[in-house]
Amino acid sequence: MGFKPFTENSKRPKQTQIRVKLLPMSAHRVELVNASRWYGQVIGLNDVTATIGPGVTALLGMNGAGKSTMMRLITGQIRPTTGSITVYGHEPFANPEVYRHLGYCPEIDNFYEHQTGRQFVQHLARLNGFDANGARRRTEEVIQAVGMTDRCDRKIGGYSKGMRQRIKLAQAMLNNPDIILLDEPLNGLDPVARREFIDVLHRLGDEGKSILVSSHILFEVEQMTRSILLLHRGRLLASGDLKVIRELMDKFPHRVRIESNQARELAAHFALMPYIISMDFTRNGLEVRTKQPNDFYAELSTLMLDHNVPVAAFSSPDNNLESIFRYLVNE
Amino acid sequence: MNIAYLYTSTVKELFRFRRLAIWLIACVALWGMGVAFVMYAGGSATDSYSQLSGALVFRFLPLVAAIFSMAVLAQEVEQKTIVYLLTRPVPRHLMILMRTLAVATATAFIGAIAAILISFAAKGGSFLSNEYLLRDFKGILVGSLAYCSLFVFTSLIINRAMIACLVYAFIWETMVPNMQGNMYQLSITSHLQAICERPQPQSDSNPLTSIMSGSLGTNLLTPTQSWLSMLILTVVMLGLSMFWFTKSEFLPREDAE
Repeated sequence: MGFKPFTENSKRPKQTQIRVKLLPMSAHRVELVNASRWYGQVIGLNDVTATIGPGVTALLGMNGAGKSTMMRLITGQIRPTTGSITVYGHEPFANPEVYRHLGYCPEIDNFYEHQTGRQFVQHLARLNGFDANGARRRTEEVIQAVGMTDRCDRKIGGYSKGMRQRIKLAQAMLNNPDIILLDEPLNGLDPVARREFIDVLHRLGDEGKSILVSSHILFEVEQMTRSILLLHRGRLLASGDLKVIRELMDKFPHRVRIESNQARELAAHFALMPYIISMDFTRNGLEVRTKQPNDFYAELSTLMLDHNVPVAAFSSPDNNLESIFRYLVNE
Repeated sequence: MNIAYLYTSTVKELFRFRRLAIWLIACVALWGMGVAFVMYAGGSATDSYSQLSGALVFRFLPLVAAIFSMAVLAQEVEQKTIVYLLTRPVPRHLMILMRTLAVATATAFIGAIAAILISFAAKGGSFLSNEYLLRDFKGILVGSLAYCSLFVFTSLIINRAMIACLVYAFIWETMVPNMQGNMYQLSITSHLQAICERPQPQSDSNPLTSIMSGSLGTNLLTPTQSWLSMLILTVVMLGLSMFWFTKSEFLPREDAE
């Protein structure tokens, strides 16, 4: 069974609603200002300033880049060594009011192994403030939402990696939080479950929730969102929309691959364009490097329409997350 | 926030069938040792109970407290499940308070079972009419609170606290009450002896049980002094634990290094 969307009906029943003190609203629900975190002599996060608003944001970086440190700082498990971190304007460290608005799916694969999935989620629901009946109902809802209804009465010790991920996700959804932090949530999920999971993320993002998803798998991140925070060795290398970031990277010209049986003719036209840096002929056409991709694409369509130059396909092999990542970390 | 749930869920967790079964088997083993002692040493039932209670029950109590106290936090940190607790909308000071009270309850329960079985070993069928047993219940309750609050705080401030707690439970608590001078006042056992109003051992008491029960030294503490001391120790340790847990970070060891 797959992930099911959260609907209005799946929200907390009124009689079991937990008391939530309203925190001051802010455009940016999570804000880091010059936040650094040291672990003894090792730096986990280095002078990061960023904001996280509604929608899905990907926290991207290689292993050891500082993704989990950032997650721990936002979830108030640790304090920044310098700088500040606020959630709805409040410091998150050991702050129960912040936790009422926050759902966290940690990277760790540790559970109370002797418990069943249902017992685990229900226990955490009680700690979230639900009464016994409310906890039972809410547990049922979130377990159904992550597609674990038929397996939730088995001991967690016997769960597969994917089932564990689902249960972790279920407990993060318990209080219907505005901010959801997911640390490497796709680990262990099969392709179908990944697809379903990404759909759920999109849906939650569309509902106005702030979702921060960490991952080091670029392909998956690209499917989730265009909004990224890119960490490398503790530093924030880039943040914002993928396309905008790419356009700002003047140092690396955009590559455009064009498939056409009239490559020479195309090349003759391109040679007259001032923003073309270089051209290479390939087996199916040619590859162009340009610093002004928008102008180039506009000119290319004019060429195709006005001069009837046949173009079978064109693509930008480096206008993706992987290339941006590679460029930014100089690898 | 359902504060009572913090307490009841911890008690339930400590009394999971397997865990409880192990402790009950340990209590039965104590009873077996008690029966063997009565058969070997003879003497009056009251004196036998008094010796056995000090040497077995009140030695067993800090062991139970040490093991249970690690479940409050140290175990959660080791198993990395602490993250699920720390990210709940529960004030940290209440979490540590209720969990500590829960382990003290569980410790007292196991201690009381051990005391009843030792009374049964010493007095046979009339084990419930043992006046020392009722006094020991007071000592077990106070001792559970004192040991658990001390051990929980220890587990908050040092890594591998279990070793430190067991050293305290077996070495310190065995040696210090037997010392001459006033050092005995630094031992919880000495205070529990005063609270239980245990009679001075007979001159022909078994030397091993005398050492084990810490009755070789001269204990001049009055019950009032000891009640007060244990109350202060418990309150201070609980207060420190609540403060420390609220202010400190708790990361699994390898993540923190």
